[in-house]
Formats: sequence, C-alpha cells, structure tokens
Amino acid sequence: MANDREILREVWEGKLPISFQLDPDEVVELQQPDQFYLMVPRLSYFPLVTDKVRKHFLRYVANDKQDREMWLEYDGQPIKWHYPIGVLFDLLITSDDQLPWNITVHFDKFPENQIYRFNNKETVESYFMACLKEADVLKHRGQIASNMQKKDHNQLWLGLQNDKFEQFWAVNRKLMEVSSEQEHFKYIPFRCYIDDGYRQKLIKPVAEDGRRKTLQDLINEMFPGRNVNIKTHGMIPPLETPLQWMSEHLSYPDNFLHLCVQM
Amino acid sequence: MPSSLLFGINNEGRVHTLSTTGTMWREIPYAGQEFKKLSAVPYFLWALGGDHQIYVYVHGLDIPIRVREEAYENERWLPIEGFSSRLLPTDRYRFSNVDGTVDRSIDKIRLPSMAWQWEGDWQLELTLDGQPLDHQGWTYAVDFPAQYYSKKQWKSCVRRRLWVRSRRYSAMNSWCAIAPLHKDATSEPFIDISIGGQSVAGAEPGTMLVWAVTSHNRVMFRTGVSTKSPEGARWNPIPTPIGSEINQISVGPTGLVWAALLDGRALVRVGVTRDSLSGESWVEVRGPGDNLKIGQLSVGTCAVWAVTQNKQVWFRKGVKGEGAGLSEELAAGCGWVEMVGRMAQISVAANDQVWAVGADDRLVYYRSGVGASDLTGKRWKALHAPLQVSRASSNASLNRDKFHRSFNALQSRPSSMCEPSTIAEWEEQSHSAPTAPTSLPVGDLASKFETQPKNPKAWSPVHSVGSIVGTEVHPEVDESVWSDGSRESCIFAEDEELGWAEYEAPWSWVEAGACTVDPAQLPNWFAEVGGGNNHTEMGEPWRLRILDDLKLRLPTKDLYKEWQMAVDTTSWVHTGEARVSWGSGQFVDCVLQLEWVQITGTLTVLNPDGASTMNLFSLNDITCVQCCSEPGSPRLGIHVPRHSPSLLKFQFSSDAQLEEWQAHFATTCGRLQHVLGKPSEGSVWAVTTLGDAFIWDPTQLESNQLRENDYYVQKFDLSGKESPIKVALHGSFKPGTCLTLTGCIGDDADRIGINLDAHSTYRLRHKAHSEHENTCLHFNPRFVESHIVRNSMIEGKWGKEEKEGDLPLKRGQEFVLRIETTEDAFLIYIDDKLFTNYRHRLPPSSVSMLSIWGRLQPFKLVIKSPEIILDPLNLYWRQVGGHLRRVESCRVGVTWAIGYDHTAWVYTGGWGGGFLGALDSHNVHPMTDSQDYRVYENQRWNPVTGYTSAGLPTDRYMWSDATGKQKRTRDQVKLLSVKWQWVSDWMIDFHVPGGVDRDGWQYAVDFPGTYHAHKNFTDYVRRRRWYRRCAVATTGPWQELGHTKLIDVSLEPVKDDLDSIISVWALASGGQAMVRTGVTRSNPAGLGWEHVSSDQPLGSISCGPYNLVWATGKKGCAYWRIGITENKLEGERWVCVEPPNGGQLKQISVNVIGVWAVDHMGRIHVRKEVTTTFPEGTHWQTITPDPLVLNAAPNTTGFKHVSVGRNEVWAATNGGAILRRAGICPSNPAGSGWFVGIPGNWQQVSVRAFN
Repeated sequence: MANDREILREVWEGKLPISFQLDPDEVVELQQPDQFYLMVPRLSYFPLVTDKVRKHFLRYVANDKQDREMWLEYDGQPIKWHYPIGVLFDLLITSDDQLPWNITVHFDKFPENQIYRFNNKETVESYFMACLKEADVLKHRGQIASNMQKKDHNQLWLGLQNDKFEQFWAVNRKLMEVSSEQEHFKYIPFRCYIDDGYRQKLIKPVAEDGRRKTLQDLINEMFPGRNVNIKTHGMIPPLETPLQWMSEHLSYPDNFLHLCVQM
Repeated sequence: MPSSLLFGINNEGRVHTLSTTGTMWREIPYAGQEFKKLSAVPYFLWALGGDHQIYVYVHGLDIPIRVREEAYENERWLPIEGFSSRLLPTDRYRFSNVDGTVDRSIDKIRLPSMAWQWEGDWQLELTLDGQPLDHQGWTYAVDFPAQYYSKKQWKSCVRRRLWVRSRRYSAMNSWCAIAPLHKDATSEPFIDISIGGQSVAGAEPGTMLVWAVTSHNRVMFRTGVSTKSPEGARWNPIPTPIGSEINQISVGPTGLVWAALLDGRALVRVGVTRDSLSGESWVEVRGPGDNLKIGQLSVGTCAVWAVTQNKQVWFRKGVKGEGAGLSEELAAGCGWVEMVGRMAQISVAANDQVWAVGADDRLVYYRSGVGASDLTGKRWKALHAPLQVSRASSNASLNRDKFHRSFNALQSRPSSMCEPSTIAEWEEQSHSAPTAPTSLPVGDLASKFETQPKNPKAWSPVHSVGSIVGTEVHPEVDESVWSDGSRESCIFAEDEELGWAEYEAPWSWVEAGACTVDPAQLPNWFAEVGGGNNHTEMGEPWRLRILDDLKLRLPTKDLYKEWQMAVDTTSWVHTGEARVSWGSGQFVDCVLQLEWVQITGTLTVLNPDGASTMNLFSLNDITCVQCCSEPGSPRLGIHVPRHSPSLLKFQFSSDAQLEEWQAHFATTCGRLQHVLGKPSEGSVWAVTTLGDAFIWDPTQLESNQLRENDYYVQKFDLSGKESPIKVALHGSFKPGTCLTLTGCIGDDADRIGINLDAHSTYRLRHKAHSEHENTCLHFNPRFVESHIVRNSMIEGKWGKEEKEGDLPLKRGQEFVLRIETTEDAFLIYIDDKLFTNYRHRLPPSSVSMLSIWGRLQPFKLVIKSPEIILDPLNLYWRQVGGHLRRVESCRVGVTWAIGYDHTAWVYTGGWGGGFLGALDSHNVHPMTDSQDYRVYENQRWNPVTGYTSAGLPTDRYMWSDATGKQKRTRDQVKLLSVKWQWVSDWMIDFHVPGGVDRDGWQYAVDFPGTYHAHKNFTDYVRRRRWYRRCAVATTGPWQELGHTKLIDVSLEPVKDDLDSIISVWALASGGQAMVRTGVTRSNPAGLGWEHVSSDQPLGSISCGPYNLVWATGKKGCAYWRIGITENKLEGERWVCVEPPNGGQLKQISVNVIGVWAVDHMGRIHVRKEVTTTFPEGTHWQTITPDPLVLNAAPNTTGFKHVSVGRNEVWAATNGGAILRRAGICPSNPAGSGWFVGIPGNWQQVSVRAFN
C-alpha cells in the first residue's frame, strides 16, 4: 500500500518555474507583452494551469484569434498537453541550467497534425480518467476504478486540479491498495518514453519465484541487453528500487509510472 | 482489536504462543511436561499432556481470580437470654446463605482444590447498603426472611450478620493438573480435550464448557467450569449411543459439540442451551465419503471443519452455532464440502477463521478470505513466524518439576493433610521424570506412562511458589516471558545473543480457540511477497536516495519564491444542500455555503433558492462543531454561543455528507483558532453522549491574555452601551486582581451603582427555588447626599453601610475607578487616588458579575488577574477521533480513555482520525467499540388468557424503553450511522437487575414497580429485556492497552517534574481496583497491572495528589486509601467513609482542592474540613443543582459527572451542559455558583491536566 507519506508528499509538491512568452509574430499591439512567470505543479497538465497565461496574453493578439485554442511550443516543437508537465520537462530539458523553462505561447496555426485538439478541461478530464482506468485494469483488472462512485472520480479530478494532496489521496489510496488475495498488483502500469513516443508492456511486479522485481528487471525486459537510464520526477531512481513500490509511490496522478528513457 | 494468542505444539511437544501483535512463536516455559493436544478460549488453555492427563493453564489475567465466600450467622431473640444462636426448629441454619436455604457453617467451607488459597481469615461485613453498621455487624429484622435494618427495634426478633472470606486461584500462569478419574491415573487416561462455550446464548457471563474423551471412549463433561472456577467441579460421564466409540471431540463457542467416531462417523450434540449446558441428545452425521473417516474436527461459531484420515479437509455447510441449541438442523448442518489442501489437523476460531497444520510440511496454515459471506475462504496461506527459543527454557536438564496437582475435595484428601515429606519424595521422583525428548510426542503411550509416577501425591501450591510453571504470557510485553526467571537459570545469561535462536519447526498441533484475527487486518505473520512492508522500506538505501533526490530537484528554488502559483489553494468555497434547525425548531431546507478566503471564513445559510440569505456568521464565532445525529438523520450541531439562537443544527442527506462538512468545519475552524497539530498537555478533555471526544487547548487563550508582567488581562469596550449593564467576570478575583473602569457620569446623575455581584444563593422550598442575591461590593455614589455608600448583600440582606469619606466624583465628569483585591479588603482608587478600603464580607473569589446602573456612561473595563480568565462558553472544542465513554488526563498530559465496551485506550499524542480520514491525521489507529440496544417487552395478566401483550389503556407501550414512556419496537430500532453495524440478533437478556425467570421475565405488582424473578400471587404485570449488540469501527489517536476491561481510571504524577512516575488507579469491570506500574510520559501505557484488593466492588476511583486516593463502592459509600507513599503507590488499606445522608455516591473526583462526588440523585457532595493531617474530612456539603444549572440545557435534573483539577472544578449535567465552579478558595472550598458552558451533550469532562 502506498503509505510512505513523505515520498508521496514530496512527489506531489514538485513544482517547475516556467516563463511563458507570446510568439512575437502574433503580437498585434505595439508594445511587446511581458513574459509571464509561473510555478507549475509537475503532476498537473498544461490545460489546467494556463488559464492565467491565456488571460495575460489575450489582449495582445488579434481579436479574431482570441477564441482559438492556445497552444504551447518549446524548441520549435508543439508541447503535447496530454502528457503530465513533469514528464514533458524530463523529456525536453536535460539540464538545470535551462531553468526557468521558456515556453512560447501561440494562439494561431494550431498544429493539428502533431497534437490533439482540446476544447475544454473536460477533454483533459476524460483523457485523465481513461488513463486512470487503464492503469486500474492493469493493477486490479479494473475492479476498483469501476466500483468507485462518480463522486470519487470527481474528488480525484478536483484534487488534481486544485492541487489538493489530501483530497486526491483520500481516494487514490484505494487505487493503490493491493487486494486481500494478492500482495501486489497484477501488472505494473508504466510508460517508457523513447523516440517521441512511449512503449508499454505487461510486466508483473514479482518474478516467477516470488522475488520482488526491481527497476533493473523492468529495463531488462523492455530493453534487453541495453544500458539505459530511467528518469522520472526529475530524478534517476536507483535500479534496485522495487517495481511494486515504485508503482505505489512514484506514479503520476493517472496511476502510471512515466519513465523517460535516456540511452 | 485487542491482541490475542494462537497456540501451537511443536514436534517436541512444547507449547508455543504467537501473539497477533507479535511476529515470533514463543515457548511457554517448559516445565517437564510435553503436551499432545490443546484447546483454548481466551485466558484459559486446556491441554492433554504426554501422560494423557488433563492440565489447565490460566494466563494473561490482570486481576486474580477471587471468590468471596459468604456465610450469614443468624440469631433469634429469646425472652430471657436475649439474642441467641439457638434458633427455632423451623428456622434456617445457624450459618446459612443469604436466603437461608443452605447450610454454610464456616468451618465446613473449604478450598475447592489445591490451586486455591485463602486470603486472610473470616471477617465480618460492617456495612449495609453502603451505610456503616455497629461494631458487631448485626442487622435486625422482624423475622426470617424479611427486610433487615441496621438498627434494633422493639419488634426485632431475629438478627443476622455476614461473615466473608476471599479465596484466590493461585495457580495462575502455571499448568495445573486436573485430578484423574480414578485413583490410579493410568487406569483410564484421557485421549482428547476441548474447551468452548464462552458465548452460549443467555448463559451466565464467564461460563465455559469442557468436554473430554477417555481412553475407554467415554465422553466426559466437566461441570462448573467458569472464569471464577477455572478447573470446574467434576467430570460427568455423558452416555453415547451404543456402538459409537468416540475418538475426538470439539466444542464451539456457542456450546455446539461435534465428536468424531473411530468408525469415521460423527456425532452432534443437540439441545445445548443455557439451561442444559451439556445438551440433550446425540445426532449422528455420516462421514464425507464411503471410505473417508473423519480423523479430527473443529467447531467454530458457524462453521465445522474436519480432517479425514487421508488428510483431506472438509467443511460442513449449513451449521449455525447461534441456533444450534434449539435446532437439530442448524447443529448438524446439511452436507460436506471438500476443500483443497492436505492437512493433518485443523482448528477453527470463535470468529470462524481457520488454521491448520499441513500434512506433509507440518507448517501452520491460515485460511485466507474467510468471512461471514464466505465461510470456506479462498486459499491456504502459510505462517512464517520464526520460533524464538531461549536455551534456558528448552534445556531439559535445568528443569525442576513445577506441577500443581489440584484435586477436588470430592476425590482426594484436604490440603491440610499434605506432609512435607511427601513433597520431597515427589520432587525426588520427578527429577528423573521428564527426560529430554527424543521422540515425537505422538509416540507410544506406554513409555510415557512409565516415566510418570504411578500415584502422584497432592501438594499445596504454596510449597511450590517460586517454582511455578511459567510466567505470564503477555502479548503486549514481548520480553516479560523471559525477563526474570529464565535468565537466572540460564547458563548463558551474560550473552543474550547466545540465549536466543530462531528456527522454524515442524508443528504437530495448532489451536486457534483463543485467537481473534480480523481478516481485513492480518497480523504480521506472513512472508511479504510484494511491496507493502513499510517498516523495512523506510530505511532502504534506494528509498533514502529517492527521497534525497526528490528534495534536491529544484536547487535554485529560492529564485522563484516570489513567483505566482499556477493553482491558488488558499481560497475556496464549499456549497451543499442541507436542512437547518434554529434552536429547537423544525428542520427546513437550506443551502450551506462555507467560504474560506486566505485566512478567514464565513458560513452562509441560504434559502433553498440559493439566492437569499437566512443567516450568515464568521467561522470565528463557532466554538464547537458536534455530531448530534439521530438514527437515520445525520446531524451536525454548530455552537455559536454569542448568537441567538446559540445552537444551529444541520441535517444532511447522508453520513458521508455529514462527515465531509464536519471535516471542512474542523479544518477551517481549527486554523482560525490556531489549534492544529498536537494539543498541549494542559488540555481539558470532554466526551459527548455519542462517544465523541473533544479537547479544549488553553494555549491559545493563555497567549491571548497573558500580557503585562505575568498578569492575564481582559478588556471590555463598553462605550455605546447604556446602563444598566451587566458584565460577567470569569476571573477568580484572587488577591492581586485589579479591575479598572473608566467612564463619564451623567449631568443629571443622582445615584449611581457599581456592584461586584456573586452568584445568588438558591433555596429549595416546596419544590420551588427562591433566589437570594449576593453582592460582594456595592459601590454607590449618591450625589444628592454627597457621599459614597459601600455595602454588601448576603443572601438577600443588606449589611451595615459604610459611608465615610467625601465624594471625589463629579457629575458630568470622567472618572477612573480602580478596585484592587487584597487578602482582606478591596482597595478602591478614584482617579488614581486611594479613596478607601472595604473589608471583605464575602470571599472575593465569589465575584462573578459587574453590574452598573444609574446615569453614567462607562467607556472601558480592564481586568488584570493573576490567574487565567476563563469563560466556559467561549472555549473552542476540537474533536479527535475515537468512540469513547470516558477520558481522563493528568498534569503531564498522559491521557487514557475507556470505550463503551470497557476497553482501555491510551492517547498516542496524535490528532485527527474518525471523520477527518487518514490523511489529515497523525498517529491514529483503528478502533472498535460496541454498545447494546435494549427494549422491554411488557405484559399484563388477565384472568382468562394469563399474561398477554394486551395491556390496559392506561398501561405503558407493550414494547418500550426502561421507563415505559417511549415506544420501542425491535424492528424499529435503527443504528446511528453507517459506521455502526449489528453484531448480534435480538436476544433475551437474562442478566437484568432483580433477576429473571427461565424465559427472562421479571414480575411486578404493577407498572412501574420493583421487578423480581419469581411470580407472586399479586403480580399482575411482567416484563423482559431484549438486547441487540452493535459495533462501530473508526479511527483515532488511541492505542489499545490490553485485554483488561475498565470502568474507571485516574492518573496523577507523583512528582512535579515532567518525567515523574505517574500513579494510575483503575477499576476493572468487576469493580476491582488496580494500579498500573511504570506509567510515565515517555511510556504512557505503562507495564502491567497490580491488583489491589477491596472488600466491596468499587464503582468509581480518583487519585490526586498521588497519595490521596478515593473510591466509591458499588453500594454508594466512599473509601479512601491510607498508607500511600512514593515507594508504595498501592497503599495499605481502604477506610470506609459514610456516604452523605440519603445519597449513594456514584462518582468521585479528588485533587488538591478537595474531594467532590456525585450521588445517584444527581447532587454533588463536597467533603468538608479536609486538611493535610486529616485528609478524610469530617462531613459532606451538598450542592443541589440551582435554576441556572437546570436551565443550562434541556432535560436537566442534576449533575452527572464532576472532575476536580488542581485549581478548578468542572461538571457535566445530565442534560449535557458543561459547568465550571466559581468562587473556590481556601475559605470556601465548595465555591459558590456555576459558570455555564455550551450544552454540548457532554457526559464527562476531565480538567485534571489543566493548570
């Protein structure tokens, strides 16, 4: 069970300094807008935290573009809003020298080929809940998430949205419990980010002989014979960390371990 | 859940225990006897020895088993001789039992067996119903049987007095042999033993049933086994059907008995009820298959499991222990179900959890997944608990024989005939007897028998004290088993490492009868496969590295301190629908809105349209948020004492919503009142009638008030208020108190008055209270007469006026009036000049009110007090989790609590729990508690049909509460909230005061009357009580203390320093007093109980200072303990103190400021003239509830509880208001008047920590 509160809290408190700036080409006012500085929770998603950014830049863009979806770009690439912010950061930024994270804001030319459209926060919510359910299918054959009430789902979502650790974990702990018949999850829900995408595989937290599998075992199964580093939550977990524990404590709110693979 | 023990026998025949809180099997110190079979209920273990004799082992009891033998000595008055022991031929025996039917000559009352010892000699009982008797202890009556009185009258023809003597079971924590069936123990040895029956429906509490099988395949039932008589009285053979050779027997907790036959069939005993504990007849059950013979079976409450000789496991379906006594079907079940797994032996616990010994690997297995809905469970799980072995205990050569032979008086010689020589001889013999085991205990019987002396002699356990078999098996204290005795005898005592070893042994037997395991919270007995074991992970290097790395993630954090947060978490609004009741009115729909902005909050009650406001107030005004649910209606009470109405109740649509709001209120109000985290050690604790615990922490008030060189300051702004004005003064007005009033006198002022009033005195006359006012200081400037009159009013009468001096005050001018209190007078300053002094006529500490009248405009009032100024109405009560009946605290903050099921809990120093959930809490643990619902069934007799439920129109409801005023039907009773659930069905209560007949009825002449067990000719009505038990599961910062059930507890540090030993007195559920050893601030649970014997069962106990302990007897008198010193906290003996006239004391509280007690009529009594040299005082002063108290809460008729702190006395009324006594000072230790707090359904308060 995920009861190491110290770790959970530390993971939850993870924040990133981000400096937003509007694409100069989109500015219609004479004066260039100031950059917008924000501390953003690593565990959240961009559409949940950029209301203030949008408000800040809105009056600098052409009237006809103000109703359009805002999208973000870093280093020439549109940012995938459906990845947790921390994952994006770990993927894109390799050194602390690059702080704060400079992100360019666009209101025009939505890159439909590269990222999903989203109309509102409900889109993010339904994507988030879908991930959560998928994770639960892997962990408990989906029994826990499907037995939850709508109210619990709401609490999870609002907890994440409002950055309320206790509200979120009051429900999430049920998802992180192991059933009475088993001492561990059925499979570990995780995503290994590599080459502009991610890979998944069914991996059990224990080996055939009952031994607890570790991160090393996961790497061995995912990338046999290769020497890779795994990064998550801005740190490199030791390879001997047990997978079950990682899944309980280092999963993102969508209940997946998001592992950035560094070759 | 309390810890409990699983028992096992290993392949060497040694008995081991595994505690549900432990992780290792520990051996019961070996005493030279191997065992083959075990059967257990909590505290009582019966075993079949390797010698095929029966042994009983009583363990883990904190209170010795004591039985009080009573004999009444009867005498009759004869005309010439006076009272004489010569009785009439028709009279009772000279020494008899209470109703005279049994001869109880005191020289014929003997100890039942060698395991018992007398405690002292026969003594006279010198009280009758709590009232002391004259020195001879005689009580007088007109004739036998009749009402006995303490005084002799002219018509008293008979008298009697009571002789009492206590005996004690002294073979505790040791194996005590049960006498064999025949003189030659080998002629009919035993082959099986089983104990159960601890919860036979309606039976006397403490009943246990023991069944055994002899080598001649006879079935024996042990009569008279109970917690008061652990060895029982004698074996009774129970006939079995012809041709059935019984091999094994098992009795379940409800008394259901199954027996396995040699030919593979089984027999079931039917008709086991409270009236017929050994049952009526046998019913045959076939084995599970044609060639499958039942080898061993085990009976639980609703489950019977069997192992066949080919090691298959079978479950008997359809068995229901609760109805088994009445229904053959429920006793015998309806079919066998095969289970997977090969087992050698099986054992079912009282809660139907199943353990077994594997047939091949000899491991102990637990059946996981067994629950009420699935009695067969899911799979077998092996226990991986290592064996902890002390060399000392397993070293056979060190063995001394330590057996008690207990023989029943029926079967052997009395103890006095035991000569020392035979003891020596027996010990000599036994030295060679237990050899180091070389074979499995399942070995051949013959060789085992050889080693046992043929004709063991009996000896009294007195002679073997010091060599008693084993020490206490105490699950709480892991080391206690080994600490003393075994160390001494251990050769390797210096090197502890050597003395211990761990290994896993093959098991031959497992016994779960005493083991209670909650399948949802399994003990730490199973190997961890996946993640989960948190304790080991906390220190793992990878975990520490991850934690460090996480913390170091943003090294330049400080750069971004000023950056805006993406998500603002400091302001929010919570809205929901509810129903609201103002004061005591109806509930109406509303919308509740709780708004939190940065650091303040508002509660808005809106009309259901959500637009218009019904009421709105700041969260600052809330002093207490309490659950006040009624079954089916989840309700929350919000106390806002400064508003009108001062109590709002909200009703929610579900318990979940209620808890959500409760949690919101608790966190927001807590933040406003700065009561987050651990409460201070000086906190006041209180408990509501719903079992919720609350804390008031004085820290905040203290820091708000403490200003200006150690004085507490309270300021009132009176400008704009019009005279007359009354300001309640809650300071104690001790010497040093200074009151400063500034104001302006009106131009047209004639007489103005500034009074320091005390609480009025109330006199009760003809059921009506008359009020008599008291004024300590009447300060009355009269401008026409140009002087200032000073006076006092005592109980409505003015005293002599003092009017010396001129009039420094002028009309139309501002003034500063300062009144300083000294030991003997008020010093009155006007505009900083001493005007006069006024000698006290009433104790200044009784001042409770400042009243101002006449033409003047006061501006400001400032009170400076050397003591904290405490208005009980303004305290913020914060809830902590748990369901409790009592909480007691002490100066250094060590706090204990008692649940409704009498479980003792120790405060962990945490907070939260309950509705706050696990995440907003610290150091909380799961808790359970249980309560009984009771309804009465009433019937009236009529000449045609006898007793029927058709009553007279004027009668009470035929199903009612105890008073008969409320209608209560069994199916109507609802549980309070979803947290509660039923744990039993409706059952007839056979243990009602006054006694009941076979069917539970009590008879009386009419409703309401005195009820008695036997129907008399004049009895026209009868009633019986039904009860149903329910249990609650919650969490709270409490840790269970152990098994011993408590009814009262009191704590007091011995010295003033923080690390002092704390003297803890408690009463066990039977009313026995105990002291807890080793309690300190760092070890609040202490080490163990020591029993302190008393003549009478006690009902309440209090201790403070440590050398002053008072208690109340169950019959209403008081006791105080003498001889308590720092080195002897348990003191020497009790001294009886007569109760106040016409009152039976129910609860007592003592401390340095006095001895206070509540009686059964709701009055408080204060012991007067208590001095250090004469701590028992001389008489009681009675405080009756005055109208102020009676009006403090609805339905108040008197006091319920009183708690005495070092400076304060607080009380709770039976209406649920909390009160603080005013005006306590050395000259008036009983104080005067009460300050009233919120009516919060309080039932108990503890101010003992408050300083």
